[in-house]
Amino acid sequence: MMLEDELTVSTRECDGVAIIDLSGDVTTFAEEKINNAYHEVTSKGARHVLLNFRQNDYINSAGIAILIGIVTEVTRNEQKLAVSGLSPHFQKIFRMVGLAQYAEIYQDEEEALAAFKRQA
Amino acid sequence: MNTPACSPASLELSLPSELGYEVIARDAVAAFACRLGIPAERIEDLKTVLCEACINAMEHGNSLDPGLRVQIFCRIEAERLVVEVLDQGVSRYTAAPTPLSIGEKVAGQGSARGMGLLLISQLCDEAGFVTRSGPGNCFRFAFHRQPGHCSSGDR
Repeated sequence: MMLEDELTVSTRECDGVAIIDLSGDVTTFAEEKINNAYHEVTSKGARHVLLNFRQNDYINSAGIAILIGIVTEVTRNEQKLAVSGLSPHFQKIFRMVGLAQYAEIYQDEEEALAAFKRQA
Repeated sequence: MNTPACSPASLELSLPSELGYEVIARDAVAAFACRLGIPAERIEDLKTVLCEACINAMEHGNSLDPGLRVQIFCRIEAERLVVEVLDQGVSRYTAAPTPLSIGEKVAGQGSARGMGLLLISQLCDEAGFVTRSGPGNCFRFAFHRQPGHCSSGDR
């Protein structure tokens, strides 16, 4: 029986930023979808990557491990990574585990895109 | 399996060791805590802690055997909400003595997994394994009660 709120992942581009939209649970079952989306935007030459969450209700430690894997690849590929749309609780979790050292956290997509534009 | 004694304000749940069921338990325990007046922000912490404890019990204690159960006992005491998560102990498990830092994980010096107990230790007021005479692991955590109520928008 599938009890997960299955993750929906899609990609788009805006102002030179590759946006990966994530809607649903970020758990161990999300690994293939998130990695495929990241590899897709990277293969198209993305330098700036935004993981855009939708106030996701459930991100567990296995999901955080997937994101650490993305951070590892972003570092290796000399890309810039940011995240947006996290609930206040998961913003706290991201800071707690140290992900904020590797990815700027923004309230929403607009704020993230404005920040990328300032850095360009 | 020995079970803890129940107090009048208590909740008991039993889950198969199948990932996803921790979300069902999370919602039930969050509703229980909300009715007891635990503040909304702390309920978000409780939800994460409970899920991580259940995942550990399923993965490490019961080796993801869906035939083995994870039991959850919640009770309210004067100053705290106490939750115990029990597995059927295919294997004993404990925290790694020196967990990897995120820098070490990003550098590929070990598995990116293993953040569950770190999250638990930082989000709740008390946490640790309880020594048991029989088989299985018992992980207990507690949240101190504080004045306040859930907002109506909480799940």
